[in-house]
Amino acid sequence: MSKYTPTIGIEIHCELKTNTKMFSSAPVAFGKKANTCTSAVDLGLPGTLPCLNKNAVRLAIKACTGLNCTIDPLVKFDRKNYYYSDLPKGFQITQQFHPIGKDGFVEIETEEGKKKIRIERIHMEEDTAKQFHKESGTYIDFNRAGTPLVEIVSKPDMHTAQEAAAYVEALRQILFYLNVSDVKMEEGSMRCDVNISLSDDPEKLGTKTEIKNLNSIANVQKAVAAEIERQSALLDEGQKVEQATRRYDEPTKTTVLMRKKEGNVDYKYFPEPNIFPIALDPAWIEEIQANMEELPQARKERMISQYKLSDYDAGLLVNDREKADFYEEAMKTARDAKKMANWVIGDISAWLNKNSVALAQSKLTPEAAAELVNVIHDGVISGKQGKEIFEEVMQGKMPREVIKEKGMEQVSDDSALLEMVNSVLDANPQSIEDYKNGKDRAIGFLVGQVMKASKGKANPKKTNEMIRTELTKR
Amino acid sequence: MDKTTIEQSAKRLSEVQPSLNAVVTFAELPDEISTQGKLAGIPVVLKDNIITNGLRTTASSGILDNYIPVYDSIVAKRLKEAGAVIMAKASMDELGMGGTNRNAFTGPVHNPYDLDRISGGSSGGSAVLVASKAVPLAIGTDTGDSIRKPAAFCGVVGFKPTYGRIPRYGIIPYASSLDTVGTFTRSVKDAALALEVLAGRDDHDMTSSYEEVGEYSELLNDDLKGKKIGILRTVSDEIKNPDIKAAFDQLVDDLKNAGAIVSDLEMDRKLLELIAPVYKTIANAEATANHSNLDGIRFGVRKPGESVEDVMTASRTEGFSSYVRARFVIGSYSLFEENQDRLFRKAQKIRRLISEAYARLFEDQDVVLTIAAPDVAPKIEETSEVRFGIDRFEEEHMQLANFTGYPSIVLPLGLSDGLPFGVELTARPFEEQKLLDTAAGVEKVIDFQGEPTL
Repeated sequence: MSKYTPTIGIEIHCELKTNTKMFSSAPVAFGKKANTCTSAVDLGLPGTLPCLNKNAVRLAIKACTGLNCTIDPLVKFDRKNYYYSDLPKGFQITQQFHPIGKDGFVEIETEEGKKKIRIERIHMEEDTAKQFHKESGTYIDFNRAGTPLVEIVSKPDMHTAQEAAAYVEALRQILFYLNVSDVKMEEGSMRCDVNISLSDDPEKLGTKTEIKNLNSIANVQKAVAAEIERQSALLDEGQKVEQATRRYDEPTKTTVLMRKKEGNVDYKYFPEPNIFPIALDPAWIEEIQANMEELPQARKERMISQYKLSDYDAGLLVNDREKADFYEEAMKTARDAKKMANWVIGDISAWLNKNSVALAQSKLTPEAAAELVNVIHDGVISGKQGKEIFEEVMQGKMPREVIKEKGMEQVSDDSALLEMVNSVLDANPQSIEDYKNGKDRAIGFLVGQVMKASKGKANPKKTNEMIRTELTKR
Repeated sequence: MDKTTIEQSAKRLSEVQPSLNAVVTFAELPDEISTQGKLAGIPVVLKDNIITNGLRTTASSGILDNYIPVYDSIVAKRLKEAGAVIMAKASMDELGMGGTNRNAFTGPVHNPYDLDRISGGSSGGSAVLVASKAVPLAIGTDTGDSIRKPAAFCGVVGFKPTYGRIPRYGIIPYASSLDTVGTFTRSVKDAALALEVLAGRDDHDMTSSYEEVGEYSELLNDDLKGKKIGILRTVSDEIKNPDIKAAFDQLVDDLKNAGAIVSDLEMDRKLLELIAPVYKTIANAEATANHSNLDGIRFGVRKPGESVEDVMTASRTEGFSSYVRARFVIGSYSLFEENQDRLFRKAQKIRRLISEAYARLFEDQDVVLTIAAPDVAPKIEETSEVRFGIDRFEEEHMQLANFTGYPSIVLPLGLSDGLPFGVELTARPFEEQKLLDTAAGVEKVIDFQGEPTL
């Protein structure tokens, strides 16, 4: 354990999942041809005015609710003024003075158990354009300009790299579950800036650095660990940490300097005169909250009680909404909840990983997966046979279809089985003798013989029962 | 609407252009003139801060000298839909900043009553083109008397409706919380008709009002009997020009004779003296942010530079006049974090105090009437291009209607040495019908007969 206490605060920018931009009717789209999803408003052309996207406010209200924030019923916007070529109007419309959400929290799992990370504020704002610096010049793509964002600012409540990563993961899950955002860190629909300072005096905070643009949760953890290490080393040598903006360099697994902080920039914030304060209708807020999707934690608890799953299994399913959705869909027909969970968490997940396919893109349907569980559960095939047909089921075939093609149905038909049992008994008088002398394990041998004769198709349970009945007759 | 054909208008516009210098860009005229709509076949001129699709729009600023918009303002759209024909874009003080129309990229606009005198601003080009009968209707914008002052100086009707009555989408802004679209006409009736066409909510402007649009011209009633008219004496008592004083006193008598219930009103002089500093603080602050989009990067005149920042700096330094740059500096200064409390926020607080005091004047009145400007238009050489002096409240009082958003109209009252002066009437928000009715009555009582010498 280091002698310094790290203090970590995180700012997350999250693109809202709206069809159109924050203040214009231009479409929001990722990966489209440059400057095709833009409008006079997004380009900051003279005379244009902002028109607030109601759906963006709706999503922000959901985010506030999911993150336990108090919602300000009076929505106000402000201007943040600075000159930059990716900022078409020369100011960004944001919520500096009256964020829509305040004083929230999320719960994370830590080694010491559950921990609350407080959220200071959530505010709405518009995204900037994207710049590309090439040798031939600077290029600007305005497709992103005006995309609705929420910025979520945590309190400096985290102290380890694991906690930082767990916080981002918890937020990512909640926003994904609520359909507030795509939360694709690699595509930039969720962006993460981490502030870190180290101090050996619990009463005082050290000088902080900011790590910008972390593009995965794994990198949040690695970057924070690397930065803690770097700052510790500096402090150990009696040097000072310089206030600066840094980035995480993946190849070297270190943070590198982007720019030094040259005092605080004065953004000359003032209220946006083109958007009057908007009083949110309490009934509208209630309606949004009443129709909200289930949150991850609530879903986990419900799945534990509804399907009698273990905390661990339910957690694994809920962590990936797609899998949890798949599981619950399959459970409409599957007859063994635990086995169904095992398949989804185990073989199915492993197969998807191995083949780098998302569940939604795979050919496996929840109905097929449920049928696979059911044919094993009903004794149509054995568990071992289930594994044998799995590959073909993953290719989109229904289990019963594969069983038929492979001629795998277990023999449960009484007359056929009876015939096989009697011929095995006829061929093994010594075993009958042994059984009558009290050697119960002779049964096992006889069952084995029947299985062998049936090429594995005999239902072991049924065979066992039938042998016992037939033996009493001899 | 005053009858002027497109041909007559086109001819008159080119005829007066060399003397007035009021047009920035002449529009290409359409092959077919509409016969449908409330303004069918009516020639109109737009102040050059009103965006017109495909027609150069400069706001009389060097940085927009080459700017051709790709969309229509709501105002331009509604005029076209009503059958009006856009003839030209009119000169203004650069980006609306100024009250003389001297500070235009194309040079000063001249007053048709005396070419050596200013038109007033910032909507000077629009005012003089209506005064000289080149068009019966011109659109202007009024941030701090920018329609009404030039109307008074040029002897025309200048009308600023309630803030939010006409959508601002497509108006190159000056100060968003004060900017209002309005009209120049030669009669109150024409102002009423134009408002019918221009008013009404548009979702592109969230501050535009849902308030129903009336049949203002149809319902116009010029009967003054029983109309409660309050005379704002604190302002009108400051008149020094004897011609204006006499005309104003005569008007008050005539209104009484016409059956109006006239009473005298006073307003705290201390508050009136704060109008100018409060206005400048708020307007410059909003303007500096509003015009941050003019950087030469995406449109407008781009000056060369080594880096993107250099290009922006060069484009803005060369693209704006020093007067406008000075206003930006003042605006920025009052927004700096360390100054905002004692400047910008304080100005907003005082604006509220002034507005509350002004609103109280209307408690028992239909309209409040006072002098528009205490004197006639000054000579061009007598006005300084850069005016950062102490302002007298009788000069700046019409900004009260911008602080409050109240509808306000200026009518020509008379001539002094052959130069027009005007009277201002103001009403409560969205009481345009009452304001126009009273104005029509006052107009009838005045019976202004001024004709420009041009």
